[in-house]
Amino acid sequence: MLQEIVAFAALGVAVVFLIKKFFFKKKKKDKSCGGDDCGCH
Amino acid sequence: MINQNINIALIGNPNTGKTSVFNQLTGLNQQVGNYPGITVEKKIGFCKLPNNVKGNILDLPGTYSLNASSIDENVVIELLLNKNDKLYPDVAIVVTEVENLKRNLLLFTQIKDLEIPTILVINMADRMEYKGITLDIPYLEEHLKTKIALISSRKGYGIEELKNLIVSYKSIPTEACLNASSIAPEYFNSLRKAFPNQLLYKLWLVITQDVNFLNLERKEIQGTFTKSHSDLKRLQQKETIKRYQFINDVLKEGLQVDASIAKDFRSKLDRALTHKVWGYVIFFAILFLIFQSIFEWSKIPMDFIDSTFASLSALTNSELPAGVLTNLISQGIIPGIGGILIFIPQIAFLFLFISILEESGYMSRVVFLMDKIMRNFGLSGKSVVPLISGTACAIPAIMATRNIENWKERLITILVTPFTTCSARLPVYAIIISLVIPDTYVLGILNLQGLTLMLLYLLGFGMAIFSAYILNIILKIKSKTFFVVEMPNYKLPLFKNVALNVVEKTKAFVFGAGKIILAISIVLWFMASYGPGKKFKNAEAIQLSKIENAGISQDELDNKVAAYKLENSYIGIMGKTIEPAISPLGYDWKIGIAIISSFAAREVFVGTLATIYSVGSTGNDDTIKNKMAAEVNPVTGKKIFNFASGISLLLFYAFALQCASTIAITKKETNSWKWPLGQLIFMSTFAYIVALVTYQILK
Repeated sequence: MLQEIVAFAALGVAVVFLIKKFFFKKKKKDKSCGGDDCGCH
Repeated sequence: MINQNINIALIGNPNTGKTSVFNQLTGLNQQVGNYPGITVEKKIGFCKLPNNVKGNILDLPGTYSLNASSIDENVVIELLLNKNDKLYPDVAIVVTEVENLKRNLLLFTQIKDLEIPTILVINMADRMEYKGITLDIPYLEEHLKTKIALISSRKGYGIEELKNLIVSYKSIPTEACLNASSIAPEYFNSLRKAFPNQLLYKLWLVITQDVNFLNLERKEIQGTFTKSHSDLKRLQQKETIKRYQFINDVLKEGLQVDASIAKDFRSKLDRALTHKVWGYVIFFAILFLIFQSIFEWSKIPMDFIDSTFASLSALTNSELPAGVLTNLISQGIIPGIGGILIFIPQIAFLFLFISILEESGYMSRVVFLMDKIMRNFGLSGKSVVPLISGTACAIPAIMATRNIENWKERLITILVTPFTTCSARLPVYAIIISLVIPDTYVLGILNLQGLTLMLLYLLGFGMAIFSAYILNIILKIKSKTFFVVEMPNYKLPLFKNVALNVVEKTKAFVFGAGKIILAISIVLWFMASYGPGKKFKNAEAIQLSKIENAGISQDELDNKVAAYKLENSYIGIMGKTIEPAISPLGYDWKIGIAIISSFAAREVFVGTLATIYSVGSTGNDDTIKNKMAAEVNPVTGKKIFNFASGISLLLFYAFALQCASTIAITKKETNSWKWPLGQLIFMSTFAYIVALVTYQILK
């Protein structure tokens, strides 16, 4: 039971993360690609 | 305790070591490149100066003059013209390079006309002796009306002296070093009378550039003072000539070059590396070595990572208590993450070589070589920088097109850059090549897998310039951009810069894509482990009734049940729905799901397949590669990843856009949905047709 709760909670977090990542992209302050991830992933 | 805050603008031509000076002053580790266009927007860092003064250092995009024609050059002018900007500099530092002082000083004389205290930094002073150069610093300071700091940002000397000069910026003369208004005295006198409270050179910039400043709008000057476009151009040319006459006069006395003591190896090397035949031969030989090494040197660490993750998956499954979470970890998360981490060695080697080429100065020679080719396809050499930097990622490459003044040429470069093979394609290429191309040698030295990888990179670049040629005809570009590429000196790559670049790029690859892959692995595992309807629920009973009295072992029965459940899971139903569209290309529904999920990021392709192939395989410690190699089409009995389907898939990924972030950045840079959607439709359709034809011919 505990395993199911944790697994489904992980699913919820993953879905929310993907929705936020691709549908509600936050604006970056510094758009440089210098030493940071370029946001292409 | 900080007594004072001052704004310091770092200005200079591209490739003068401006970013290195910035790093030396701030201690930041910004990426330092050795080809033009690295800094496309301003960056801020902080520096502790003597006398408890804090400096806000602003690294502005490299520009050749204040006659701006591209977006990044406008960034410089807009800041220098707006005193109300909170970043308006108290002092400007113009970074020049000792070997290109004459050209670099043009920008310096223009900045001086803005009456901002300006320090002249002469960088790369460590090469003066080598080149036989001597400078008369007091003479130069007197005639250029400035203070000079002789530094070497690479060796780190002269930085403390520069900090002392910055702190005493109030003692630096703010007067112009020449009277540029003498090119048209009457015109400038009337301008001065009309706007007595405004700086004359600022007025001139407002007239000639597309910028406003303070309360003075362009329309106020229009009418009386606006000249025709050709008249303005003529005046700008006269201004430039006037400035160069002044610079020549100053340098005649202030700079001496004794060629007899110079030990110049560079010209000989340049002649070979940019030779119309040997230049290309050397370039392709270097490329060939890089791709051979990527495959050869990565084998052992990749196999190690792959088998470690396979063992970890089996261990998790056997040691943790049975349940949904254990299955999610062992069949979903570990294979999914393992599917991306195995490519760390290849990505690291790729960026190691690219960093060495950039740092050494060779990349600028490549840009020069490519410029000659690009002109045949209607593009200028300015498009080469984005295309080459696209080997890392299309996003910064598309942003780098801001260097291109001509809009249509910039648009074409934006549209074709995604054809360049980015690092996200590398995992897809690497896994498929290792499955379908034999690990053999041609002529005893050419590794076939490395050769295939190199051909795919060349194919991407070739397709980019071919598409540019077609777009050039369709869009009918008339005007051309003039491209000036500076040949920086050859340098022994600095280990620190190379290592930092490799670590940063690899980290971005792992953590950027890693979070998405982790999330997608979790979602995919659930979609592959649950399904609607009776077929999924009663999978075991259905299979048992099918094989009644067939005398198969329990293992075989488990495999059949797992395969049946997967086909009737949510993801199986989705995959089966799209299968008719992709089966003519030689792909099964699992590859179809991987293609769709990899639209988030191409490297998700491998992680997706790793997760799908792991569902139901309890306790199996096989590696991802082995699982993919063992996949068989249940109808034909042939391997899923065979030569025909493998080549078809490689070509699909070579041409398909498959990157949501590229669409977003294209939309942002073109300010329209028309271009990214057109790009997506064209690239996807083209990729589909090529993959289809390839499979049908090879099968």
